[in-house]
Amino acid sequence: MALTRPSQSSSIFKKRSSNALASAASYLSALSQADASARARNSSHSSPTSTPALSLSSSVTTSSSEDTVLHEDDYMNDPVLASNKDGLLLPPRPPTSEQVFTTVHTEFGHSAQEEYRTTSQHPAGKPLAIHVPQDPPYYILLSTYISYLILIVLGHVRDFVGKRLNPGSYKHLMPRDGYAPLNSDFDSFYTRRLKTRMDECFSQPVTGVAGRTILLLDRISPDYNHTYVFTGTRTRALNISSYNYLGFAQARGGCADAVEESIKRYGISTLGSRLEGGSSDLHAISESLVAKFVGMEDALISSMGFATNSTFIPALVSKGCLVISDEFNHASIRFGVRISGANVRMFKHNDMKNLESLLREVISQGQPKTHRPWKKILVIVEGLYSMEGTLVNLPALMDLKKKYKFYLFIDEAHSIGALGPHGRGVADYFGINPRSIDILMGTFTKSFGAAGGYIAGNKALIDRLRVYGHSGPYAEAMTPPVLTQVMASMASIMGLQQTMPTSSVSEPTLVRGSEYHHPGPSTRLIPPRMDQPPPALASGAEGRTRLRRLAFNSKYLHHGLRKLGFIIYGHPTSPIVPLLIFNPGKMNMFHRLMKERQTPIIVVVVAYPATPLVTSRVRFCVSAAHTKEDIGDVLDLKHGRGERWSIDEVIKRAVELGTSEEE
Amino acid sequence: MNTTSTTLAPLFSFLEYSLTTAQTTFDKLPGSAVVLRYVKSSHQNDPGRTLLELILFLFAIRTLLQSRTRADRNGKHFIQFSDKEIDELVDEWVPEPLELPLTQSEVSDLAAVPVITGPNGPKPKLAATGKTVTNLASLNFAGLAGNEHIKQRAVETLRKYGLGSCGPPGFYGTLDVHMDLEHDIADFLGTEAAILYSQGFSTISSVIPAFCKRGDIIVADRAVNFAIQKGIQISRSTVRWYNHNDLNSLEEVLNNIEKERKKRRGPLTRRFIITEGIFQKDGVMVDLPKLIELKYQFKYRLILDESYSFGVVGRTGRGLTELYNVPAAKVDMLLGSCAIGLGSCGGFCAGSQIVIDHQRINGPSFVFSASMPALLAVSASEGINILRNTPSIFETLQENVRAARAILDRIDSIIIPSHPASPVIHIYVRPLPSAGLLSASVSTSSYLSASVHHATFPSAKDAMKHAEYEAEERLLQEVVEDCLAQGVMLTRAKRLKGQELSEPRPSIRLALTSALTKKETEKAVGVLKSVLVKVLSRRR
Repeated sequence: MALTRPSQSSSIFKKRSSNALASAASYLSALSQADASARARNSSHSSPTSTPALSLSSSVTTSSSEDTVLHEDDYMNDPVLASNKDGLLLPPRPPTSEQVFTTVHTEFGHSAQEEYRTTSQHPAGKPLAIHVPQDPPYYILLSTYISYLILIVLGHVRDFVGKRLNPGSYKHLMPRDGYAPLNSDFDSFYTRRLKTRMDECFSQPVTGVAGRTILLLDRISPDYNHTYVFTGTRTRALNISSYNYLGFAQARGGCADAVEESIKRYGISTLGSRLEGGSSDLHAISESLVAKFVGMEDALISSMGFATNSTFIPALVSKGCLVISDEFNHASIRFGVRISGANVRMFKHNDMKNLESLLREVISQGQPKTHRPWKKILVIVEGLYSMEGTLVNLPALMDLKKKYKFYLFIDEAHSIGALGPHGRGVADYFGINPRSIDILMGTFTKSFGAAGGYIAGNKALIDRLRVYGHSGPYAEAMTPPVLTQVMASMASIMGLQQTMPTSSVSEPTLVRGSEYHHPGPSTRLIPPRMDQPPPALASGAEGRTRLRRLAFNSKYLHHGLRKLGFIIYGHPTSPIVPLLIFNPGKMNMFHRLMKERQTPIIVVVVAYPATPLVTSRVRFCVSAAHTKEDIGDVLDLKHGRGERWSIDEVIKRAVELGTSEEE
Repeated sequence: MNTTSTTLAPLFSFLEYSLTTAQTTFDKLPGSAVVLRYVKSSHQNDPGRTLLELILFLFAIRTLLQSRTRADRNGKHFIQFSDKEIDELVDEWVPEPLELPLTQSEVSDLAAVPVITGPNGPKPKLAATGKTVTNLASLNFAGLAGNEHIKQRAVETLRKYGLGSCGPPGFYGTLDVHMDLEHDIADFLGTEAAILYSQGFSTISSVIPAFCKRGDIIVADRAVNFAIQKGIQISRSTVRWYNHNDLNSLEEVLNNIEKERKKRRGPLTRRFIITEGIFQKDGVMVDLPKLIELKYQFKYRLILDESYSFGVVGRTGRGLTELYNVPAAKVDMLLGSCAIGLGSCGGFCAGSQIVIDHQRINGPSFVFSASMPALLAVSASEGINILRNTPSIFETLQENVRAARAILDRIDSIIIPSHPASPVIHIYVRPLPSAGLLSASVSTSSYLSASVHHATFPSAKDAMKHAEYEAEERLLQEVVEDCLAQGVMLTRAKRLKGQELSEPRPSIRLALTSALTKKETEKAVGVLKSVLVKVLSRRR
């Protein structure tokens, strides 16, 4: 059994380096070294640089489109995937001699035009427009209700007949040998009779990188979705479903190089919980990096996003406390709150008036029956709601916070990285000081292409969570490869120079951030080799491009679909774009039609119980990895008339739509 | 008289007019004639019935209009305030601080948590001192940490899949490598199927509420780990506890429930026994064949948490089922941790196809969480391959366990509750004989019976026990720190104070590994022995 070899230096990713440096510093230098080595490796293949920059002007003269698929050996054995029949393998226009793309086009699309970029920022001083969901015509509502009615009646008829004619297939739903069934036929009715009908939309197995495209493992169901058989073939599809907002789901590039180096140096696991021998210096470094990124004093990392909420909320509130929760909050928040034993009240989604009247009521009434004052009131909201695409009305919430003295917990699972001119989430988007929020929580699964989550706040609070949060003593610590992905992706958004105190780069948030005192090793984040860092990384140009591409793509898709005449929920800047389709029968159809186009597109369809019964929807998750042409593909849904724009017009006026300030 | 009728005349005419309008509108309504006829005939038969129906009708309307949410506003405890009063109350209200500062001992404990620089394994390097130490704290039972083959496969996977899966299993987060690992686990254990969760700790607290609902019966060991406690809490089922690892007590509880059920003749509900294979809190091992016998006898389903026994005991690490030679299919839901057993990340539940499929829709942390990174799934699969093909791992591990126990069992000043074959070894401080009655009771039953409330309303006895535990904790922490100074890394079993069902007794938790030789293990445990003897002899 091969065992560990104690590393000579505490440095992390530096290849063949004898220079023993403080770990944090060496990490960032290593990041650039990893890039440099990748560049060296690639140039021997006569392919462009591997700096994870998206487009660079460079003196490299030629770059044929074959180079961009150089790494995809896997495709070359499959005649269908190796051909560009679906139009996804190669960009529509081959790059010019000025353009150098360093990403694999199928993972992160090639897009050089500067006009297809915009900034995600809320205009200062302007209140957030109240999101009014557009109502569908009455006949749509009526036909939706009738569809459900038919489905339910049919289901019951089938159950009634089936139980008599074919009792064998109902055995697991009936009491048997003195055992109650695990699932009664009543409880599972929805699953059996409604969800099974559209099961082909769910749990589709895939392979490869969940980047701009994804490979589907084709399957067919011989028995009406009860079981599936794999055909053995694969289909490449445009992926507008994964939470890959900034496009960091990549098997090539700076982040993946850093992760590879970290696996070699650190292994796979840190073997245990944080308090019982599973703490690594990587945890300390990445926690201070996360704290710096979100602009808080300290942060704590957990190995699972769901568990971040479900294990840390109980350490924040207890009996005698009140949690006020948005009605559309994620299941993990509800799980955590239920475990905590605190009282819960809900307010209408994003409705600040409703929240205020609720606050007035609960503060004046106090605890139920005893009327004692609440120990503390914690308002829990999400930055960006995953089913609605709505942004929290943070400016209004901050005003309420001042008046009603509650503590504020923002779950930035979807918004961190995806919103704000610097990708720091909703606070950055609205230009609000993150330190005026008590707790910021977020996940790494989405924007950073990693896994797990963090919770950030002041030092005393985070230290308390380290000891009293359920994860500390019991849950496994985050593994080194995941930590490295987090750090590498975060650092490439932040850029390296900006951590220098004498930075000349004008970065409002970061300059503001530097006013805060960050404890711990984050002050050592100043890279040691500032003389020649790779330009795209050091300046944060790469990260900025990703942010600006994401903002453009989101707005383009949102406004484009609106102009085509669809009912769209949410905020235009949100990378989550829900398209309402109401009718349950249409969901299957939509999913299949999208998948069977010449350029297959995979979509997420969501229905009851994840949404209210009538408002079934398709949820697009836009990524920085998509090109303007990809979004055009998605938009090519139908041709409208009259006030609506035709698809040609939408595509022609892409820049106008993608940079529009309209809400 | 006359004047009143003249003044009221316009009113009468108005009333008459509105009555006729109402009548014509009513007549125009479709089906109004039927209603009218019905009311007339029923009124003729029984005037009281009309009144009753009217009341019923009004009641139905009221119920329909009532808010579905809790009607706190109308409750008898609701106090009406004016806006001004509310403003004053809002101004007056001062919330408690969000966080209480840590106590001095908590701060020093937190600072004393060892941080490892570089790879963790049997001989890691500490960040604080830069010294290399022998690791008896980290969970590396099969010695898979740092395995070059696993690392290489992980890198290959990284280059094909990237790192994160960027989605929950339902929405394009199910990768072929996840299905492979699920298949590998089911095949390794010999169950029909298995399901993968992305964190070991969250697995069982999600599996329990997926099956156990309100009204169901759970019979659980009093000393189950924290994740199980939380799973039970969130399931809202009826819970009965039996004494720690006492299957006679379990039988008694099962008998009582059966009697009650017969008396009450309630409907058949789902019934579960929940326990652990090797207990996280003290390393005690459950007698699986007896447990299976009881479960069949009383027709219960068994949820067995093998987090600390899968990849830890058995000839090839299959866990308790292999150790006791019981087919894993007899355990209805068998849970294990890929983080502890396979040196990767995540957890799993193995069982029949129906059990697994049910969780794919109903397991909260499966449905609502992103799936595990591909390279960690592949690492776990490789781990299973290694366990399957290398039985010598567990021979070495057992040899180390025997060697360690041979040394530790001879120390008088400690108690070891753990099973002799368990590589998880907990060490309690043996109370001094002079300490009297209370300590005697502590040594016989190692768990306080009081529930969570004791933190707020401590009884005198509990307070004494707490003081005693506090003192023991300090002693053990001293042992841990002294050992670290001599190059052996240990850890106290860390607990969530005041949140556990019963406050567990302070202990040092050793986790032996097959990656150390017998000699190295003996040497490290020898250091622990000398420190224990030295520190504990200083008591009194």
